[in-house]
Amino acid sequence: MAWINKNWTMFGIVKGLIVTMKHIIRIGNRPTVTVQYPYQKMKVWPRFRGLHAVDENACIGCGICEVSCPNGTIQIVKYKTKWYPQVNIGMCLFCGLCVDACPMNAMKMTGNYELADYTRESLVYGPDRLLFNKEVKQ
Amino acid sequence: MWTGDIMFANAYELIVYILNFIGIYEPINNIFKMLGIEYVLRIIIVFVEIAILLVFALLTIMFLTWMERKVVAMVQARYGPMVTGPRGLLQPVMDGIKLIGKEDIIPAKADRWIFTLAPFLIFIPALLIFIPIPFGESLIISDLNVGLLYIIAISAVSPIAILLAGWASNNKYSLMGAIRAVAQDISYTIPLALSAIAIVLFTGSLSTVEIVSAQSETWFGFIPKWFIFLQPLGFLLFLIASIAEMGRIPFDFQESEQELVAGFFTEYSGMKFAMFFLAEYAHLFSVSAIVVTLFLGGWSFPFLTVLPAALVPIVSLGIFLIKTYAVIFFAMWLRDTVPRVRIDQLMNLGWKIMIPLALLNLLATGFLLTVGVF
Repeated sequence: MAWINKNWTMFGIVKGLIVTMKHIIRIGNRPTVTVQYPYQKMKVWPRFRGLHAVDENACIGCGICEVSCPNGTIQIVKYKTKWYPQVNIGMCLFCGLCVDACPMNAMKMTGNYELADYTRESLVYGPDRLLFNKEVKQ
Repeated sequence: MWTGDIMFANAYELIVYILNFIGIYEPINNIFKMLGIEYVLRIIIVFVEIAILLVFALLTIMFLTWMERKVVAMVQARYGPMVTGPRGLLQPVMDGIKLIGKEDIIPAKADRWIFTLAPFLIFIPALLIFIPIPFGESLIISDLNVGLLYIIAISAVSPIAILLAGWASNNKYSLMGAIRAVAQDISYTIPLALSAIAIVLFTGSLSTVEIVSAQSETWFGFIPKWFIFLQPLGFLLFLIASIAEMGRIPFDFQESEQELVAGFFTEYSGMKFAMFFLAEYAHLFSVSAIVVTLFLGGWSFPFLTVLPAALVPIVSLGIFLIKTYAVIFFAMWLRDTVPRVRIDQLMNLGWKIMIPLALLNLLATGFLLTVGVF
């Protein structure tokens, strides 16, 4: 007869119904905080580690970033008579060690996080897609 | 002005009256009479009204899938579907297109014939329930004089279909879900039928139209004489039992996701899955319509007699839908609030609490009616 000692008045259900009704008709501070992603985007903070960018004028092609990368993501390739890093984003773990290692502060990370792509080849970001020129931009 | 009497026995007579009013019934009838096939015209009119009912029911079911997601989203401080159409209204259409395009998988060890039969067996009774429900004044397909018995009998077919689906899938989760669903349906049909019989004691008839017209009177001219005021305990029992029969969340043992993958339709995919899904919402709509018909006065409302007679069918349809959607909203609201009970709690509630209470309710109603209190 254990079941008969339980609280069969079920007042807890009514309490719960009141709570959910408060959510439905928005009593109190209950805003909808969902971000409608493809149409709305969340703000990216300045220290966010997204896709790399390389300063064309500052980079000396020393290869320290290539050595510092734990995954072997970065390769130094020739581009327009100078040597620049090429990043295979499919292997990158976005640790930021290459940015710390750069002696000329040429490498930095941007807020671009929409990096999904259709082929493995298109994940390899060569200097043509990574370089930016500080003088021209400012 | 509407006199308060029922104008037409069913929708067939209403359609014939409208055709007569436009003036095209006689010429069409004469053509069929010349050919000696008058019955063909009657069959065509019946087909048309059934087609209207089916389209209406399917559109409502699609709307309900959207409404369910929106209500859950409101409770959980989300938006719900927003992309397809205005506020995501076309989401059910897209879901339907997606499900039609999916591969129809039948497991290798499944009983193919029963596996294919089960979705139809659950979907067709879910639509057949709508036949004796009065959607409005004279908006009823067929006023059966055993309407309530018909409703209870048809809704008792679905456990068989669930058991067939669970057995034919040849999967332990499916079979477990089916066994649970059948046990639950059988235990909750009894309080459901007993609390419906208490209504029949008042009306003396199983016809749904007479049950509604018995509730169209008022006390003191403005309080409607709905059976919820005469039978509060019966209403509560009927509501709980019908939510349990639907298998919605406080009692959703047939598809308890954390224990059984999806219950009896684990192995179903594509259009067959869609039929189970649609049947679930058809059940929700039909059960809410039955609750409204039995306890909340159906399409009747106190001040309907001030309207002109031509408007009464449309206005009463609107009143019926408002009441039905209120009950549906309550079911969704309850679904978002309470967690699932345990299976032993379900059985305790059904057999030890609800059936004795339903019998007591029936006894008290019969006693008070015999004494002459009501």
